[in-house]
Amino acid sequence: MNGFLRFGLLLAGLIVVLLLTLAAFQLPIVDSVKLIFDGAFSDKFAWSRSAVKMTPLLLTGLGMVIAWRAGVYNIGGEGQFVVGAIFGAAVGKGLIGANAAAIPGGSLLILVVCAIGGALWAWIAGWLYVRRGVEVVISTILLNFIAIQLLGFAVSGPLQEQKRQVPQTDLLPDSLMLARFDRQTDVHLGTVLALVMAVVLTIFLYRTVAGYRLRLVGDNPKVARVNYIDPGRVQLSAMALSGAMCGLAGGVEYLGLVGQLGTTFPQQWGFLGIPVALLGGLNPMLTAGAAFFFGALFAGTENLARFTPAGTTIVYVIQATAVLAYVGLSGLKKARPKPEEETESTPS
Amino acid sequence: MTAKSGLHVENIVKRFGSLTALENVSASFRPGEIHAVLGENGAGKSTLMGILSGFVVPDSGTVMLNGNPVPVGRPFDCKRLGIEMIHQHFTLVSEFTIAENFALSRLPGLLSSSEVSARAEPSLAAATRLGWELEPGRRVSSLSVGAQQRIEILKALGGDAQVIIFDEPTAVLSPDEVEDLFRVLRQLKSDGHVVILIAHKLSEVLSIADHVTVLRRGKWIASAPIADVDERKLAEWMVGELPPPLAERKGTELVPGLVGQDLTVLGDRGEAAIKNCSFEIKRGEILGIGGVDGNGQLELAEALVAVRPVAGALNFAGKQVNAEEMRISYVPQDRQHDGLAMGMTIEENLLITGHRKPMLRKGPFLNFRALNQWANELVKRFSVKANSPADRVAGLSGGNQQKVVVSRALDEQPDLLVVVNPTRGLDIRATEYVHSKIQEARDAGAAVALFSTDLDEIYALADRVMFLSRGELIADTGAESLFGAKA
Repeated sequence: MNGFLRFGLLLAGLIVVLLLTLAAFQLPIVDSVKLIFDGAFSDKFAWSRSAVKMTPLLLTGLGMVIAWRAGVYNIGGEGQFVVGAIFGAAVGKGLIGANAAAIPGGSLLILVVCAIGGALWAWIAGWLYVRRGVEVVISTILLNFIAIQLLGFAVSGPLQEQKRQVPQTDLLPDSLMLARFDRQTDVHLGTVLALVMAVVLTIFLYRTVAGYRLRLVGDNPKVARVNYIDPGRVQLSAMALSGAMCGLAGGVEYLGLVGQLGTTFPQQWGFLGIPVALLGGLNPMLTAGAAFFFGALFAGTENLARFTPAGTTIVYVIQATAVLAYVGLSGLKKARPKPEEETESTPS
Repeated sequence: MTAKSGLHVENIVKRFGSLTALENVSASFRPGEIHAVLGENGAGKSTLMGILSGFVVPDSGTVMLNGNPVPVGRPFDCKRLGIEMIHQHFTLVSEFTIAENFALSRLPGLLSSSEVSARAEPSLAAATRLGWELEPGRRVSSLSVGAQQRIEILKALGGDAQVIIFDEPTAVLSPDEVEDLFRVLRQLKSDGHVVILIAHKLSEVLSIADHVTVLRRGKWIASAPIADVDERKLAEWMVGELPPPLAERKGTELVPGLVGQDLTVLGDRGEAAIKNCSFEIKRGEILGIGGVDGNGQLELAEALVAVRPVAGALNFAGKQVNAEEMRISYVPQDRQHDGLAMGMTIEENLLITGHRKPMLRKGPFLNFRALNQWANELVKRFSVKANSPADRVAGLSGGNQQKVVVSRALDEQPDLLVVVNPTRGLDIRATEYVHSKIQEARDAGAAVALFSTDLDEIYALADRVMFLSRGELIADTGAESLFGAKA
C-alpha cells in the first residue's frame, strides 16, 4: 500500500478512536472536539504549543526511524534523550563557569555534545547486540532505567546548582538558550532544526548509498551479507545515529524550553517517539506529519483538561491505538498470501 | 491374504499451481513386504507419502487400505486407521521426556500427568520387543539423532500401526545405526506390517527392499520385485537415459582460475558441512556440482564467494579469493532468503550489486538518472514481467523474482560466477536465456561453479561434473556417484 494512503487511513482511524474515547469518558463530543481544536489551533499561542510539543516527538521519532529501518528495534529513546541532555548540561555548567556570553556558538556546542551523548548511550546497546547477541529491545529498556538513575545522580551531585538546595542544575543564561521567534510564545529554533532533520533524513535514506545500505540491511540482512555488506557494522552505525537524534531531542528540550535539568526532565518523549515513527510508517516526512498530529493532540487535550476531568491521558489511548494499528497492519500483511505465490512445493 | 489387503493408491494426481507433482500415480504396498519408493529430488516421493498420511490433499485419485477407502487430507483419521509416518525431520517435542512424547502421540487432547505412563506403555513395550533400552524419563533433547529416530519409530508403534512409512530414514544415521534400523525394518516386515521406505540411495534399496517403485518428475516409471533389478536399471529409471560422460576440454588452452585445496567449511550450527574438498575450475570452464540438496551446496557456494569463512587454501589465479579485487557474481539458492529484499522495489533489488558501480553513484549519493536507465535496461533484457522497475519485488511471480536475481549477477562479466539452481522456477525460454548467459560468461573467461540438483541442467552446461555427498566432493563416475552407492 502507498505510504501516504496508509498514513491517511491510520490518521482517520485514530480520529475515530479519539471520538470513541471522548464518548467513553462521557464527554459532550462536539464541545470536547472544539476544546481540543481550540487548544491546538485557535491562535498563535495554541499553534506554538502544538509546535513545541511536536519538536521532541519529531526528533525522537526520527531516531526510531533510523534504527528500526536498519532492523534494530531501539526502545531506548528515553535513555538516549536523558543521557544526551546530561552530557549537554555538563558542558552547560562549564560554559556558565567560563562566562558563556563570551563564547560564540555555545549553544551549538551543547547540542553537538548532546547528540554525542545519545549516540554513545545507543552505541552500548548496538555493540552488545552486534558483538554479543544481546537483544536490543532488552538492553535499551534496561539502559533507560540506568539513564534515569544517572540523571538523579547528576542533578544531586556533580551537576547540581550552586546553591545545592534542589536536585537540579543551574538555569542556563538566555545567551545559551535557543533563539525564539516571538517573545510571547515558546516556539524556538529547535522546531526548525527538527523539521530540517526530517528533510536531511529523507535525503539520507532515499538518495544516498549509505542510506540504501541501511534500508537493505533492515529489509534482509542475509542478502546484505552475501553481497559483502556487513550487517553488524551498518546496524551499529544506525544505532549510534538513532541515539544521536534522541540525544539531540534532549538537547533541544534543554536549550529550547526548560533551560535546566531536574528529576522531572524526562517527559517520556523518547517512548512517545515510537508510536510517532510507526504512524509515520518509518518514513521521515510522514513521521513529521505524525509528530505534528500528536503534538497538536497534546496541546489540545491540555486545553480539554482545563475544563473537563479528562486530560492528556486521552493522548496515551490514541498512541496505544496507533501502535496496535501498526502491529495489526503488519500482521495482516504477513497473513495475506502474496500475489502469484510460488507454486513449488519442496518434494524431496 | 486377499488381493485387497495392503495399501493401494490409484490414479493420484496432485498439482501445485502449474507444477504437476504427481501425475496418475498408482501403486500397491503389500503387508509383510518392504517396499521402496525411489526417485530424484522433486520426483514426487514426499508428496505421495504426504497424501498417504493425510497431510497433502490430492486433486484426484483414491487411497484404499485393506479394501476400505482412506479419507484423504485428514491426518488424524489416517493415524487412527493405522497409517504412521516416520518423518525425516522428527516430530518430537524436545523439551518433553521420552514417555511424554509417546503419550502425546496417543492422546486426543491433554490429560493429567498420571496418565502419561499408561499412554506410553505400548511404545515402551515395542521398545522391549525390538531390543532397545530406554529411560522413559529422559528428555528428548538430550538424545542423539539416532536415538531420537528410535523414539519416532516407537511412537508410531504405540498404536495399532498397519502401514509404516519411513521418509529417508538413513539420511541422518551413522553406518552402525543404519544396520540397526535395517534389523528393525526386517522385524516390522516379519510382523506383517506394510513397510514403505522412501529413499534415493540405490545400495540401501537393493540391500533391504523386497519391492521397488520408481518415480520420475511426478510420473510412475516402474515397479518391480527387487530380484528383477540392478543398480544400472534403477539409475536408468530414475534419471532416464544417462548421458555419456562429457569429453573434457584440453586443459592447456585454459587459464588458471579457482583452485580449492582441502577446503573445510562450517555450517550454521558449527558442523563441518564441507570436509576436505579439493577441486579446480579454470577460467573459461563450467564445473557442474550435482547432488541432492542439503549435502553442503549452500556452505560451499558461500565459501566460494567469500562470504563464509573457509579453512584450507582457496585461490583465484594464484591469489586468495577476495571480493574487492576480483568480480564475483553469485546467484544464491534461496532467492527469498539470500537473494532478494522482499520489502523493496525491483530497482532497489538490482541495486544490491549495482550500488558498487561508479556509474550509478555521484559521491555519496545515488545517481538516479543513470540508475533508472540501467534498471530499465536489465528488466527489458531479462524480460522481467513488471509495469515498472519501481514495482515491489514481492509482487512478482517466483520466476520473475529469479530473473531479478540472475540479471543483476550476469549484468557484468564476472571473474568468478557461482550459481545455485539458477533456473528454478523459470519457464523454458527464460531458462534457455539464463543458460546462454552462463555460457557467455564462461566463454568470456569466467570460472563458473554451477550447483544444481537438476542433472539435465548440469549435463547440458557443465564442462566437468562432480557430486557433493555429505559434504564431500566425488568425481563423476556414472550412476554410482549419482546416487551415493558408496556412501
